[in-house]
Amino acid sequence: MRILMVSIYPPQRDGIAQYAIQEVRALRAEGHEVDVCSPEPSAAHMHLDLRSRRGPYALARRVAGYDRVIVQWHPAIFYNVPVTPAERRRVAFGLLFAFRRAASVEVRVHEFDIAGAHDGSIASRLTRTLWRSVDRITVHTEGERHDFAEAYELPESRIDVVEHGATFVRRANATRHEARAELGLPPEAFVFLSIGFLQPHKGFDRAVRAFRGLDTAGCRLEVVGSLRLEDPEYVQYVDELRALVDATPGVALHEHYVSDEEFDLWLVACDVVVLPYRMIWSSGVCARAELYGRRVIATRVGGLEHQVVDGTVLVDGDAELAAAMRAAAGREVATAEAWPTGADRAAIQAEVRRRAATRRPPGTPARAEDPAEPLRHLPRLELPPPVSVHTGVTTLKRVVRKLTRWQLDPIVEQVNDLARAAAGAHPADPSGTGSPAPAERPEP
Amino acid sequence: MDRKGRLAFVPARYGDGVVGGAEAVLADLAHGLAARGWDVDVLTTCARDHFTWENVFAPGTEEHDAVTVHRFPAVVSTPRAERAAIGAAIEAGTPVPLVDQQRWMNDDLRVPELYHHLLDQAQDYRAIVFAPYLFWPAYACGQLAPERTILMPCLHDEPAAALELFRPLFSGVRGLWFLSEPEMALARRLHPRLAPHRVVGAGVHVPDAYDPEGFRQRHGIEGRFVLYAGRREGGKNWERLLDGLAAATLHADLPFRLVTMGTGAVHAPPSLADRVVDLGFCSARDRDDAFAAADAYLQPSQYESFSLTVMEAWLAGTPVVANDRSEVVRWHCERSGAGLCYADDLELEECLRFVTEAPEAAAALGALGRDYVLDSYRTEAVLDRVEASLEDWLPTADGSA
Repeated sequence: MRILMVSIYPPQRDGIAQYAIQEVRALRAEGHEVDVCSPEPSAAHMHLDLRSRRGPYALARRVAGYDRVIVQWHPAIFYNVPVTPAERRRVAFGLLFAFRRAASVEVRVHEFDIAGAHDGSIASRLTRTLWRSVDRITVHTEGERHDFAEAYELPESRIDVVEHGATFVRRANATRHEARAELGLPPEAFVFLSIGFLQPHKGFDRAVRAFRGLDTAGCRLEVVGSLRLEDPEYVQYVDELRALVDATPGVALHEHYVSDEEFDLWLVACDVVVLPYRMIWSSGVCARAELYGRRVIATRVGGLEHQVVDGTVLVDGDAELAAAMRAAAGREVATAEAWPTGADRAAIQAEVRRRAATRRPPGTPARAEDPAEPLRHLPRLELPPPVSVHTGVTTLKRVVRKLTRWQLDPIVEQVNDLARAAAGAHPADPSGTGSPAPAERPEP
Repeated sequence: MDRKGRLAFVPARYGDGVVGGAEAVLADLAHGLAARGWDVDVLTTCARDHFTWENVFAPGTEEHDAVTVHRFPAVVSTPRAERAAIGAAIEAGTPVPLVDQQRWMNDDLRVPELYHHLLDQAQDYRAIVFAPYLFWPAYACGQLAPERTILMPCLHDEPAAALELFRPLFSGVRGLWFLSEPEMALARRLHPRLAPHRVVGAGVHVPDAYDPEGFRQRHGIEGRFVLYAGRREGGKNWERLLDGLAAATLHADLPFRLVTMGTGAVHAPPSLADRVVDLGFCSARDRDDAFAAADAYLQPSQYESFSLTVMEAWLAGTPVVANDRSEVVRWHCERSGAGLCYADDLELEECLRFVTEAPEAAAALGALGRDYVLDSYRTEAVLDRVEASLEDWLPTADGSA
């Protein structure tokens, strides 16, 4: 069978690329002839800018020669930002044209955007038609199946759940002892592992903070991965993650591109995989951890709840994450750290900074620029004082003030409350707790 | 030392119930120099409050110890709408044309009678000292007789500080007195053509004794507490401190109440409200005893040019927990070793955890503070520096200085 796979593809470092290449490998192992079309130049057989106006039509010309077309779907492959109704119309129409020319289309949905799915517009109707034209839709979790079917008014029976690791194969044959020796890890330590691209939504900083104090119980946390995109937000996140790791005893950051083999070696070497994601649809890391029988602690986000196997610990929030890690390690952890003794201001100040840093989300330094700062310096609204240089006018103004106070004072208070709330809507500090008031004119 | 000639000190506010660091420093200087034999006038407004500028003191002349006080009516005769609008632009960092800067300055308090008093009599003074730079009296009146004007700017790193409007003041006066090295450095950054200047500091009165237990009994305060004294307003980061404390008490088992004294509404968040004790405006005795009774003094303000209250806390042997954004207070904390700084709520919480969990170490820090203040900011030492600069910059006509 001739198969065309449309996907982000290696050497681009991306989870979908990794997923795609494993499926290609599996399909080819089954004897299929598989070509790959990627949106950017890669190891794929061909590449097409699928976000261009002509992209879907160029794809339409290529699909005709294949028995199956498999699309590894991520909105970023097809849609330009911002995703306007016109953009949704363009993409839906173009892909509909392409899919109709194909003998069979399967779409592996890794992420989807349901914005505008129900608004009754031409774009939404076209998009629903597009999805109805797909022969087989797969997602990784039951939750995704439900959401997707509801969004595009499809029967759930038309959507299959394919385990994220269905096509995964082992790439490491080492024992745990051998893996640790190769990676330079102490054989006796209890090792937590957070592995993957270093980006905010992976939340590895949460694991580092949750780990705090576990080093005293013979535990280690290995954070392994690399920066995926040179996006300023990601770069800043990694900077902060480095600082956080530096400030947290027992944690190491192995910041480099991880080959497939090394990736699995880390899984073999660890005791527990920690996936503190802030947002994820499904997790290839989780699937690979299961492949090696490694315990997983994961946050209950996206479709993870439906993906994981029995024995996986799902947590809600940082406190549960920390508790789960402690429970997994089975170690007693000292709860109160001692402060430096004596009047050593520098040491105490450093300890204050260190402790706060371990709790601060990366990407938001302690003295972060605060976008709401000008808002905070808006002076409080005050009614003009009832004074005048002119004889008798001061008295008149005071009378007017008294007569109108019942109306004006609540308005003034409301304006000031609104200003304070607006300033508070942009947290000034990484803990997100500050909701400062508008400042009045500063004085010494 | 030649103490011939009258000196005029011109704060925008002066008298009982006035809360403000610059005003306090200037008043102390006036009285300190008068006690040394100088002929000293205070020229000020009839206002106590720097928002309403309501005239609560009677205009005219009165004697305060050895100081003659001349009060002039504060005038606010406009709706101040332009000031609010232009001020918002200034705070936001938007370039504001000079003409708008001038409208901003004039659409607020003005003191025409003071202006004309100085117009008429400036030549009668050996020196005219203004503080702070931001108010109309210093801006407008400070340029009347620049050759004999000394500005104590009490400068903060605030957007208004860099306004073109103030350049003539900072470059044209006879001299500038700064309260600290960081303030001087800031002025040099903002105004490269700076008039002759010196760091004189501010004098701190040393109480004869403290009675922390008496303070607790007088106000019915039990248990451990942290203290804030001063203006409870946004410019001092008061509300932000409350929010930070509320967050800290949610995350940590902190034993503290917050005792506060000064002016302005408290507006504590509901989760913190039952921990806050508002004593309002207190006597000097209560203030000093409160400093001694507190576990720590909190200084949330970003805009400080000296921070008298920090000195008062240290004199009482109480450690300080201060906003890291205040260069001046951080500088004091680092020099003295007697205070911790926080850059965000998390660090504030950790500072409070330290005070909670290591009270002996915290007290040891506070003790360093007392030594620091006594070494650097005794009133007499400050007055010596002030007199030396007067002698250098404004010698008497006969050259006897």
